[in-house]
Amino acid sequence: MDAARWTRITIGLVVGAVVGLVLYATGQVWPLAAAIGLIVADVVYAGLTLAQTGEWGPMRVAAGLVAFAVTTYIGIIGFGDFGDANAVDPSTFANTKAANSWALILTVSMVIGAVVTYGLELVQTGRLASLSSQFGTRTYLLMAVGIGVNVILGQTVASALKIPIYLDSIGTILVGVLCGPVAGALTGGVGNVLWSYVIPPPFQYQPAAAFAITAVAIGVIAGLVGRAGFMRPRPNRSTQELVAGGLVTVVLVGFLAWAASQAYTKIFQTKIDLLPDPAKVDPIFVVLGYVAIALVALAILGLFALLLVRRDLTAAYVVVAGVFTGIVAALISAPIAAGVFGGVTNSGTDFLVAAFRQAGADVYAATTGQGLISDPIDKVTTFFTVYLILSALADRFKARFPQGEQVLEEPSA
Amino acid sequence: MLTLERVTYRYAGASHPSLREVSVELRAGEVLGLVGASEAGKTTLCLVASGLAPRAAGGTLSGRVLLDGEDTAPLAMHELAGRIGIAFASPATQLSGVATTVYEEVAFGPMNLGVPRPELIARTDEALAALRIEPLADRDPAQLSGGQQQLVAIAGLLALRPAHLVLDEPTAHLDPAGTEMVATALAGLAADGASILVAEQKTDLLAGICSRIVALDAGRAVLDGLAAEILADPRLVDLGVAPPAAVRLRRAAADAGLPPAALARLEGALAG
Amino acid sequence: MPSFLGTPGPSGVHRLNPLTKAVLAAVTTALAVLVGGLIGPAVLTALAVILPALAARILGRLLRTALLLTLPIAVSVLLVNLLFFPAGREILFQVGPIRATAEGLRFALETLARIGAISGAITLFYLTTAPAALVLDLERRGVSPRVAFVVLASVQTVPAMVERAVTITAAQRARGLDTEGSIWRRLRGVVPLAGPVLLGSIAEVEERTMALEARGFTRPGARTLLWWPSDTPLQRVVRWLLVLAVPLLIAARALGLPGWLG
Repeated sequence: MDAARWTRITIGLVVGAVVGLVLYATGQVWPLAAAIGLIVADVVYAGLTLAQTGEWGPMRVAAGLVAFAVTTYIGIIGFGDFGDANAVDPSTFANTKAANSWALILTVSMVIGAVVTYGLELVQTGRLASLSSQFGTRTYLLMAVGIGVNVILGQTVASALKIPIYLDSIGTILVGVLCGPVAGALTGGVGNVLWSYVIPPPFQYQPAAAFAITAVAIGVIAGLVGRAGFMRPRPNRSTQELVAGGLVTVVLVGFLAWAASQAYTKIFQTKIDLLPDPAKVDPIFVVLGYVAIALVALAILGLFALLLVRRDLTAAYVVVAGVFTGIVAALISAPIAAGVFGGVTNSGTDFLVAAFRQAGADVYAATTGQGLISDPIDKVTTFFTVYLILSALADRFKARFPQGEQVLEEPSA
Repeated sequence: MLTLERVTYRYAGASHPSLREVSVELRAGEVLGLVGASEAGKTTLCLVASGLAPRAAGGTLSGRVLLDGEDTAPLAMHELAGRIGIAFASPATQLSGVATTVYEEVAFGPMNLGVPRPELIARTDEALAALRIEPLADRDPAQLSGGQQQLVAIAGLLALRPAHLVLDEPTAHLDPAGTEMVATALAGLAADGASILVAEQKTDLLAGICSRIVALDAGRAVLDGLAAEILADPRLVDLGVAPPAAVRLRRAAADAGLPPAALARLEGALAG
Repeated sequence: MPSFLGTPGPSGVHRLNPLTKAVLAAVTTALAVLVGGLIGPAVLTALAVILPALAARILGRLLRTALLLTLPIAVSVLLVNLLFFPAGREILFQVGPIRATAEGLRFALETLARIGAISGAITLFYLTTAPAALVLDLERRGVSPRVAFVVLASVQTVPAMVERAVTITAAQRARGLDTEGSIWRRLRGVVPLAGPVLLGSIAEVEERTMALEARGFTRPGARTLLWWPSDTPLQRVVRWLLVLAVPLLIAARALGLPGWLG
């Protein structure tokens, strides 16, 4: 990546951080301050890019992001009691209204954001090149494979393993990274609907369709992460760079591990039974269950191996992308889990929800807490698995996908 | 007639071309065999001949690919699909993956081309009949044997009614029974006057159906001539190609000093 | 066209246009979420799930499948809410620090009624509808052939990948690789399994791209369809009425009219 682009990113992040901190200091709640800070960072970056290179692409994305944020904000204000986790409906004891409106607001906002981004492109260029370039025979086939991977691993984890993660977005993130945000979004959304309605048992998982909107968001983020070149290999870096990257990783991973262990010690006084009893579940899930556990174990070991042995700085990028995607996914899916399913979705995450409930949280707060623990761990594991898959594929193969060039190692580095 | 004129092709990101200055001609009603060691460029030549390289595979091509004298460069892949058909080694991966019956699988190509429905049905029936696989019509393609799947794939090409067929090692992934099945089908197509370019390691199969053979080595066409002559050419072994059993038998007999009459009786016994 | 294509199915419900059944399942799901309480979802289940299942003579299979799929979730919902309901005041019984509350029980039952309606609607749909029929019907109505392709290919990818996993496991066992034994040994055994299943399916994409493009896949515009499910004007009207029910109910709830729905 050229130095000028790094400068633009740095300036954007600094301005965004200052704006966010000022807002926080003047009494705004931290999620709002952080969100506004990030948006300001992106707008500054896009503006600088437009001024320096004349490229409109980042500016159109930033415009879509602003439209998304404004619509979401208007929606939250318009729905009144939204955001108060204790606004429990006295008849159902759950914050159903907030949950439904949250899902509705986010859906509408995402659609408006996409319409603004691609509408601007259509108006400016008369074509939708950035949309159509994401699709082709290869993309359609990879989408089908991605949906299959989502369903098979996701169903294994949900039905057979007692671990509070999902592993149902490896395909979504793979397609997003290799093909683009819209292709990733479609893989996630269509995949979840099929998982509920069309895929026959034992692989059917009926709650999936309700979470299609989460899968769509994951696909969009993965597409942008891939486009930004996060998933390029960065082997043999200098010790300084690795220490900086390692610090970010350790702080994030350490925080997650601490939060997860806090929750676990609260719930499990006895030994955690990670693996299913072969007598009770479909045998295929026992085999696939080991695949899933192996993936998680490999991810944790592999991230450190990547940093220390291959000196690959991308390990830090994987963690940042995973944590960010996880937080967004948790915020979108928690209200759905609470409002539609009463916090229970028949998977390992149910134990975490029960723990929060026991601690006195309402169903909405419980699913949010569970999501904020489960999702970042899940998405870091998933992004890392996708990175491993990408490293196992030939450059010649990857380069033919729409965003394939962005996952190859940069020749100059 | 399908003509490759001084074709050089390099895959995207590759350091050297996979085909160098290759000129090959597939005439109407002719079965042309393509032999060579692995990595000699057989698959690449098949991809170029079918138009998939560079249209679907990327990379850079110089030289010309002509169909009946017309340069194919301005044609899109779907415009070539009805004129040149191509089959690959792996039976399962070349199926559409969306058809639940063999009938729909065979119809998939002409459906894409948008041919009117009565013609679609006529073409599908005809293609199934040409390979004598009508009894499979209502079966699930995913549940067939490798040999049967390969026949379904070839029927799917015939339904496109291409003037030229390109087959890239159509028996490489098949067991002996499947190989026999495909060999019989190819002999039938050849007898019906189809123009076929077939890349194959199994020279015994080529000996039965080809009129002409081209041998590739490191991306260059090094031998080109009548099938019987090329297959008996002693240079074939140096190119990493095993000659047919009959040729090896004759060589062994000559080395052992067997009289020609005895050899003739041996060959007669093997053939009978 | 041979007669085995688009076989109509054994009952009137099977023979309904797939879109009609899809709309019924989707609207039932939406209504189950919108209508609160116990009676609403129960009536909904009786009308939109049990009755059609009886007509299709699949009630037994439907109940078995739906139960199988929702039993674990139902047990979890019941236990979690019965025992860990923070807003619960009326204590039914108490074991140590865990209190079972009446409010928790009521919340659990309401959630179960909702999940039961949704699960029944989905199960009814896929027991009476072939995915290919729905997709072809949508394609005939103007849905892009590309979307139709992705949906059908995804549905077929799942069994294909499972079969691949089973084959490779069998091959590994034949080669003496340990798939029993301790957890660590089993984990080591699956590493060579995950690779081929995941990477194999992805690597095939290249060859399948070539094969599809050689068969005219990239041609723009609609393709010719071999067959499609039949439809009737009556079903079209019913579909629109079903779809209209959703905004009507949302409006009704917003105006607070039907109190019994709460």
